[in-house]
Amino acid sequence: MHPRLMEKNNNHIFEAEQIGLYLLSGSIQETEKKIYADAMQKLNISFSEYEQLLWNKMLKNKWNMACIDAALAVQEPSNPVRRKLFTMLAILEASPNYTSYFLSRKFSIFYLFKIGIIGFRAILRALVGIFIVNTIKRKCN
Amino acid sequence: MQLNYDYIVVGSGATGAIAAHSLVEEGVIVALLDVGVEDETYKQIIPSKDFISIRKEESDQHRYFLGKNYEGIPWESTKVGSQLTPPRNFLTQLTDKLISFESDSFKPMESMAKGGLGGGWGLGCYVFSNPELQAIGLHEAEMKKAYEAVASHIGVSGTRDDGAPYCLGDLQNIMPVSDLEQNLSGVYSSYNNQKKSLNKKGVFLGRSALALLTEDKDTRSAVQYKDMDFWSDKDQSAYRSWMTIEQLDKKTNFVYHKNCLVLKFREHENGIDVIVKRTDTNEEQIFSCKKLILSPGVLGTARIVIRSFEYKKEQLPVICNPYCYIPCIQWRMLGKEIEQKKTSLGQLVLYLDENKNNYDVGMAALFSYRSLLLFKLIKETPLNFSDARIIMQYLQSSFTIAGIHHPEKGSDTKFIRMKKDAGAYTGDVLTGQYILSDQEISTNSLREKKIKSALRTLGCQPLKTVHTPHGGSIHYAGTLPFNDRGDEYTIYPNGKLAGTKNVFVADGSGFNYLPAKGLTFTLMANAYNVAKNVLKND
Repeated sequence: MHPRLMEKNNNHIFEAEQIGLYLLSGSIQETEKKIYADAMQKLNISFSEYEQLLWNKMLKNKWNMACIDAALAVQEPSNPVRRKLFTMLAILEASPNYTSYFLSRKFSIFYLFKIGIIGFRAILRALVGIFIVNTIKRKCN
Repeated sequence: MQLNYDYIVVGSGATGAIAAHSLVEEGVIVALLDVGVEDETYKQIIPSKDFISIRKEESDQHRYFLGKNYEGIPWESTKVGSQLTPPRNFLTQLTDKLISFESDSFKPMESMAKGGLGGGWGLGCYVFSNPELQAIGLHEAEMKKAYEAVASHIGVSGTRDDGAPYCLGDLQNIMPVSDLEQNLSGVYSSYNNQKKSLNKKGVFLGRSALALLTEDKDTRSAVQYKDMDFWSDKDQSAYRSWMTIEQLDKKTNFVYHKNCLVLKFREHENGIDVIVKRTDTNEEQIFSCKKLILSPGVLGTARIVIRSFEYKKEQLPVICNPYCYIPCIQWRMLGKEIEQKKTSLGQLVLYLDENKNNYDVGMAALFSYRSLLLFKLIKETPLNFSDARIIMQYLQSSFTIAGIHHPEKGSDTKFIRMKKDAGAYTGDVLTGQYILSDQEISTNSLREKKIKSALRTLGCQPLKTVHTPHGGSIHYAGTLPFNDRGDEYTIYPNGKLAGTKNVFVADGSGFNYLPAKGLTFTLMANAYNVAKNVLKND
């Protein structure tokens, strides 16, 4: 493999690890990382300067990723940085290793409380994320 | 090289397949001209397992669920047809290149596939009522026989409940109804408990009649509830038009010509020349026949007829059902596990028939959501993907989707127009406009409100109404309206194209009205009759 391609591929593998950590709160397997790298090669998602800054920030840790994603879900749902997350989400769903995260199962009535808490957490994440996104936007302007 | 046949059928979709089948059964020699795109990628790699087993066991499922080039991960696509799964994408392959359509207000879906748009048919079969057939311009008694003949060929399952007058009519040739999935069972029993008050408002609910086998038929198997209906036709329990073409291909009096895009016809004393552009060599080829049956779909027929009549008239009317869908939460299904064996087809249909005359009925087909995968639903929420995944996994079993079709008539603001374009593959491009009047918009909106109210009564809480662009219903008609005066650009009730001696139209081009109910079964029944009329005309 050409050194530039190798570097790009390594970047994609690193991205896959970070996104997996954010989406499923755990490290994901090599198979899914490779599929993600292949998808990135084929989809060729490009970023503007602003989007690149957002993406760099998101890759620092899963909390940044969650907050920025939450803010963009409200403000810019079609932002290309979300497309990377969405692609990984689809790859994880179409893998036999992660079916328990996606297929329906029986939940107890008390699970509704958890759903409520997660909804509340999503709102908090969006509020923090809006602050981060606006700061990055100002930097770009 | 010029090829001569007695009968040529154009197009292999629902109508072309039935017309060709009816002719071949009578023993005459038939050629079918078709572009005939087929799925070369996915057919072989999808295993013959149920959805859950595939999800849990198959390591290369991403190849067909997401697509070879990840085309099954939709992002910002508003094109009609973008909802197709990767294994069904071949249905619209080559259409942009070969038969482009330009419009801001009308986004139709067309197909160059072997079996046409029938490859993505939702399988709903509806016998139209007498008032509906009269409004369309079809003969009731003839259609009754044709419905039976088509049902016997394709296999229709259903039952006689409150929905039967709207879908089965008097149809005798039916198989037992399919097993109802858990998600829709709750809605069905809720209806049965409250039907008196709902019926007073003109709301009726019943099991769908589906072109889905519940008993083995010839080489096709009864449904095995694998829930792979949107991905694969492995057991052939769901009827697809290509199955008829493959069956005909074994007969000695049938010839299938692939890679043939029909441009126009020229009628002369000794018969008809059919001018074709071959899509493999881009060269023109001429076929000859005594009788020509056009059935490449309403827009395809319009293109051929406009060219054949030397562009004397470039604008034609068009009708297409307005369509929207409403995702609902069904509270009683919250936190439940979806059963392994089921089907994702619309097994229940709600009808709004306020005048109780089976005319201008509104219709909502009800579906559950699973096999189209959760990530597509997650994208629709205004939440971050990680939290949305947890919430949607919980809600998944409770989603019921209502797909609403409205009845539709033509008007001056709904038309297609052909314009010459030297750069286009065929030298011309079809354009169009589709604008509803304020009155039509308000009638449809009121109908949607009433359907939403009925859904609430049935325990389904509507979340939002998503209106698709005009063309999204994939039901098109009315470009060459039926009339018996023989006016230019019309069709006689027997299917003959006015201004010709031996050219017939077997698709929905003549239909003057579109009921909300699914069109395909009636299109096939009409094609059956047209084929019989072609033979009578000899």
